[in-house]
Formats: sequence, C-alpha cells, structure tokens
Amino acid sequence: MSFPDVRVGTALPVLELPLDRSTIVATAIASQDFEDVHHDPGKAQERGTPDIFMSINSTNGFVDRYVTDWSGPAARITRVALRLGVPNFPGDAMRLTGEVTGVDGDAVTLKVLGANERGVHVTAEVTLVPTGGKAR
Amino acid sequence: MTAGSVQEQSDLAAQLAGFVGLEAEPPRVARYAVNKAMIRNWVEAHDDHNAVYVDDAAARATGREGIVCPPAMISTWVMAGYRRWREIHRLRAEGAVEDFAYSRLMNLLDRAGYTSVVATNVEQDYHRELRPGDHVTAHFTIEFISPVKRTALGEGCFLTLHKKYVDQAGDLLVEERFRLLRFKPRPTQPAAEEDVA
Repeated sequence: MSFPDVRVGTALPVLELPLDRSTIVATAIASQDFEDVHHDPGKAQERGTPDIFMSINSTNGFVDRYVTDWSGPAARITRVALRLGVPNFPGDAMRLTGEVTGVDGDAVTLKVLGANERGVHVTAEVTLVPTGGKAR
Repeated sequence: MTAGSVQEQSDLAAQLAGFVGLEAEPPRVARYAVNKAMIRNWVEAHDDHNAVYVDDAAARATGREGIVCPPAMISTWVMAGYRRWREIHRLRAEGAVEDFAYSRLMNLLDRAGYTSVVATNVEQDYHRELRPGDHVTAHFTIEFISPVKRTALGEGCFLTLHKKYVDQAGDLLVEERFRLLRFKPRPTQPAAEEDVA
C-alpha cells in the first residue's frame, strides 16, 4: 500500500477537537495517570495553574489518532517527538493541523500542530511506515 | 526573595549534578500484561476509531497478527497504579525518602521549593508494536538536569529521563526521552502566560 497523496507539502484534513473536563480526566485515568493536576481543580491551582490540564500522554494519544485517521489503519507509527506549549484546559478546543514534511522510501514524516484559543499546545514530528497489508 | 542565597544555589547545583547518569529507580515491571480491556478504555477516551486496536480481523487485514496497542500507551503499562500513587504522595508529604535516586532527587527539589511539575517534551522511537500478552519492563535513567532557570511558570529546572522499554524476552520495544520542569509555584497566573517553552 501507499499513503494517500504522499508528497512533501500535502496537508492533512483539519480536526477540531472540543475538550471538556471529562475528556481530560478520562484520558488521564485511561493512562493510569493519577496526578491531581489532571483531575482536581483545587490542587491544580495550588500547584500554579488556573485549572486541570491535559497530560502529555493524552496529547500524544490524540496526535496518534489524528495521524492514523489520515493514513488509515495499515500504517505503523515508528517515531514521535512532541513539545508542549500552552496547556489544554477544560472548555478549550484543540485544532489539529498537519503537513507532510518528508518522504523517504516507504517512510513518511509529518509535522503536526495542535492549537487552542491561547496559542500552540503541541508541536509534533511523527514518522510512519506502511504495515504491508491490503486494507486501507 | 525565595531563591535562597548564592551559596545555597551553588550547593543545590552541585547536588543536582550528582544525579546525572544514575538509574532513576529499580526496573519497573508492568503489573499485568498488555491487554485488550485497557486498550479499549484508552481508545474510547481518545475517541480513536482505528479498528486495529480493537478488532483482530481488521488488524490481520493490515498484515498484523492481531490487535495492537496504540503507541502512546507505552508508558501506561508500567504505571504504578492508584494505591502506589497514594503511597508516594503520603511519603512525600511526610518528607520520607525511598532508597533510589529519583526519590532522593524529588526530595531534594521539594525541600528547595520546586514542588510543582509539568511535562514539556516526549520523544519515542517505536521498534515494534505491542500486542496483548506482551509484558513490559522499563529502565529509567536520569540523563540530564538543567541549571535552575526562570520560566514563564516560575523558577525551576528541567529534568530529562531516558526510558528503555523491553519485552518479556528483553528485546527493545521503545526508547524514550521525557523532559519535565520542576518549578516553584507562584500565585495562579492568567492562562496566556502559561507557556513553559
């Protein structure tokens, strides 16, 4: 198989992701992350942030989802490098955008940005390869 | 001024430097094997509809042997669990130190006032996909500690952990670098000033 329209500069479809309190808590607990800044607003404020915020592992999970929504299931992510900026708080909407930045044989590298109303939440570089199956 | 004297800062820097290169804690052996139930909980929370995480036939159609685990779940398998999380926080509140480098480092930073934490970067190289039944062990090393800096969140230092995840045969699954900021919390700031980068 090959990925859809794989050329440097190809843009991925935009994904608008509304984030409520339940999303932030459910993703943190699904990753067994019980740090109070991801579920307890009072503790988050004591620790210097205005509200609970999304965990880095949850952000990583949403980046995976965004990339494989585009590539289809017959792709395997081989590398992720991500950097966080402004936090994702309850009530935010994260707008994910992406672009192909490299094609090396079968491997495709993407740059992914996730931004909310206050700025860029995540900048990620993701590399994926086809799994070799027939399904898309 | 909360930063302490120049002498205190210099002592702290020397103590922090002593942690670089140390094994952070004993190897973390996953409490249970990679399993379909926890994978399903994760993909539902992320509203991820990729069928290879939940449907063996769909996964086989992509050339895989069956269901695979979402790559970002790697750290989930070696999390210590809710009971241990409670215990760590109780020990920390009591100022108790456990017998491994990361506990001593956290205690040193707590005593210096750097009590808050925020993750800033993660890099993961995935050598193969995890499947139900795989049993993960992680080896954590303290790779880098920055000098104390002023950041948008407050004064703090950045730590980089190197994490090597292996399977039941000892074969490499994932290599990771995880960077976090330990900082002195200030009174709550407007959200727009929260960028730590």
